[in-house]
Amino acid sequence: MGPKVLLGLLAGAMCAGLAGSAGAQSPDVGWTSYTGDITGSRYKPLDQINAANFSKLEVAWRFKTDNIGNRPEYKLEGTPLEVGGVVYATAGSRRAVVALDAATGELLWVHGEKEGARGAAAPRQLSGRGPAYWSDGKEARILYVTPGYQLIALDAKTGQRVASFGNNGAVDLKADSDQAIKPDLTSGEIGWQSAPTVAGDKVLVGSSFREGFTPSTADNNKGTARAYDVHSGRKVWEFHTIPRKGEPGYETWLNGSAEHTGNTGVWTEITADPDAGLVYLPVESPTSDFYGGTRPGNNLYGNSLVAVDINTGKVKWFYQFIHHEIWDYDMSSAPLLTDITVGGKPIKAVAEPSKMGFLYVFDRITGKPVWPIPEKKVPKGDVPGEWYAPTQPIPSKPAAYARTGVSESDLVDFTPDLHQKALALAKNYKIGPIYTPPVVSKAGGPLATLGLGPANGGTNWPGGSFNPQNHTVYTYACNSCLLPMGLVPPPAGMSDLPYVIGQAGQPVVMINAAGADQGADAPLAKRPPARGGGGGGRLTVDGLPLIKPPYGTISAINLDTGTIEWQVAHGETPDYVRNHPALKGMAMPRTGQTGFNIGTLLTKDLVIAGDADVTTTSDHPRGAMLRAYDQKTGKEVGSVLMPAGQSGSPMTYMVNGKQYIIVAVSGGNYSGEYICYTLPSE
Amino acid sequence: MRWIIPVALTAMTGPCWAQTTSIWDGVYTDAQAARGELAFGAHCANCHGANLGGTGEAPALAGPQFLSDFDGLSAGDLFDRIRTTMPQDNPGGLSRDQLADILAFLLKANGLPSGTKELDRRSEYLKAIGFSAARPAK
Repeated sequence: MGPKVLLGLLAGAMCAGLAGSAGAQSPDVGWTSYTGDITGSRYKPLDQINAANFSKLEVAWRFKTDNIGNRPEYKLEGTPLEVGGVVYATAGSRRAVVALDAATGELLWVHGEKEGARGAAAPRQLSGRGPAYWSDGKEARILYVTPGYQLIALDAKTGQRVASFGNNGAVDLKADSDQAIKPDLTSGEIGWQSAPTVAGDKVLVGSSFREGFTPSTADNNKGTARAYDVHSGRKVWEFHTIPRKGEPGYETWLNGSAEHTGNTGVWTEITADPDAGLVYLPVESPTSDFYGGTRPGNNLYGNSLVAVDINTGKVKWFYQFIHHEIWDYDMSSAPLLTDITVGGKPIKAVAEPSKMGFLYVFDRITGKPVWPIPEKKVPKGDVPGEWYAPTQPIPSKPAAYARTGVSESDLVDFTPDLHQKALALAKNYKIGPIYTPPVVSKAGGPLATLGLGPANGGTNWPGGSFNPQNHTVYTYACNSCLLPMGLVPPPAGMSDLPYVIGQAGQPVVMINAAGADQGADAPLAKRPPARGGGGGGRLTVDGLPLIKPPYGTISAINLDTGTIEWQVAHGETPDYVRNHPALKGMAMPRTGQTGFNIGTLLTKDLVIAGDADVTTTSDHPRGAMLRAYDQKTGKEVGSVLMPAGQSGSPMTYMVNGKQYIIVAVSGGNYSGEYICYTLPSE
Repeated sequence: MRWIIPVALTAMTGPCWAQTTSIWDGVYTDAQAARGELAFGAHCANCHGANLGGTGEAPALAGPQFLSDFDGLSAGDLFDRIRTTMPQDNPGGLSRDQLADILAFLLKANGLPSGTKELDRRSEYLKAIGFSAARPAK
């Protein structure tokens, strides 16, 4: 690896002015982990910013990330941390860590790693979701994973590597794996974009890969989750998401297919309950996302929640949400560890939001479902060579909080004419309930199976949130993220799988991982011109979404009763819908927006989330609203205009008597920026 | 002496760059868009699709949602977004002339009228061309 590129800027300056003013002001409250804590809550019981004053929020400071890397980023997904008056965040196409004064935004230090060819080959580039923080009261460290899959430990005061950790402050997560990364450590496909979780003296890290729409091989590198000792950087355990011969679960891979199947990563956030001694691993699907004929069987621990011993990594219990997954549902969300009371009985619970639109709830000690999750018969497909699981588990409670399958009644129906056109368009596709499998794409139809939730969600990587006081989960869901799942044979040289995602009659396009080739290590040198591809195109009717509103929602789900208490459309009605000529004069409730990257923040009484897309209305100029809802009712109680859509989930903290909210915005022509809001000084 | 007259005269006789032009005013030529279509096929279509429908995370570049995304900005804003970040595997690798051609093709593909003058290759001049999803009222 190359040298650190940016070191210890103004390190000496950061200790000054952080002591805070004395007096009878509210105590400081930090945000010490990606989700606010290691239970996944995204909750802080602060109320200086509240329903009465939310709309008065002003920008305290902004941090533009353009120069953190050799090109700007338009996909800033981070949630910063705040500890002791300092904000720590990952940022920029370099995925550097920055330390900022929490009250003023002043840059205290920045640390980046030049990873050269290894960074350029990384499956998950750009700024990532964030760093982790550890302290024993004397020493404090910031830990993060680079695009090239190194775990770096920094001195929180200076941004310098901690020499005693790993190899001079770095652990090579490729070299230190139980598997030999193929084909080599430089180009071998494995990485991670999420934030590590610090539980006690352990740092927990997962793994991710390129998109599984058009993988080059079924025999990809395998998923893994690991715990490292935060003091030494020594590996404590490694969990094999695809069991090895002799390990339990190996038998669920028929024909020995565990040997030649990869992926099955743990790409989203990990949570932990140190008191119970358990770590909760949400595992994604095996190779490939939409074709599993090369891996017959149920494929443990694909699409499972696995509770492992925090000290050994041994499986304590697991639950498989999808047997033999072929829809790219993965498990997308941080497991939410919350204590609830059901029928008078206290339960230490874990709730798992999902792309499927179900919230699965378990006793987090035993793994027993809180409400029955019966196996239901599901449709069998006819893709040559595919293996189909006859049943899938469907929660009896809570009810689905987002659309699951696709039916004719889900299609746009603003006017009878639009609905007829929608029905005609949908006739080219197979539609059905959840777990209707993909089809081989045929020019005469079906072109594909239409899914609501595959790949995008439902709830995607931002996950949900919960208030431990009222035992309620609040989560965003895309309710209109439509994906055509058609399979075609790959063109020569693309893949060793018999089928990849595509559409009959159109050239097959390699689907890149999000951020691929966009990181600061990716080459700027010219490559041969790409050939023209087809692409399925977006499914619209006269420019309107094929699926009817609400396009995106926030739901409040009470875990004591298992009921959805309220649900609201989240996001301003898109301009192209509100201003559509066919809808002129039509009274229309807010539709919400078709985004899948929205995370929610909970304060004492509010649910806070921004719009994904910009709009221009009679009430506000071009921009996206950061909104606050009453946790009890879902009523919107305030909003503030942002220059671009929310692209990373908001967080909050209190320092020197003032509450702040930071949100990451980017998209369109607006490059990544952290914006910090606070109330005006009276 | 009334001082307002010379000021008004200057404004009327000088080039009309001050937000008076829109993408609806025929700001590119068909020949430019045709060149742009070839360049798009070579450098952009692999991710955005030959039909501009988008693939994976690469958004659609035709249709009401695309127009809405840039509504209220300028042709220069879109030009610079492309110029500084695209193609993803070679940002900065296309010449300004190629980029202007590609932008002309995007405008044509979105049903915006052509004209007799080619799109400028300079961001500062393109910033004077308003980008609006709907035809501005005259």
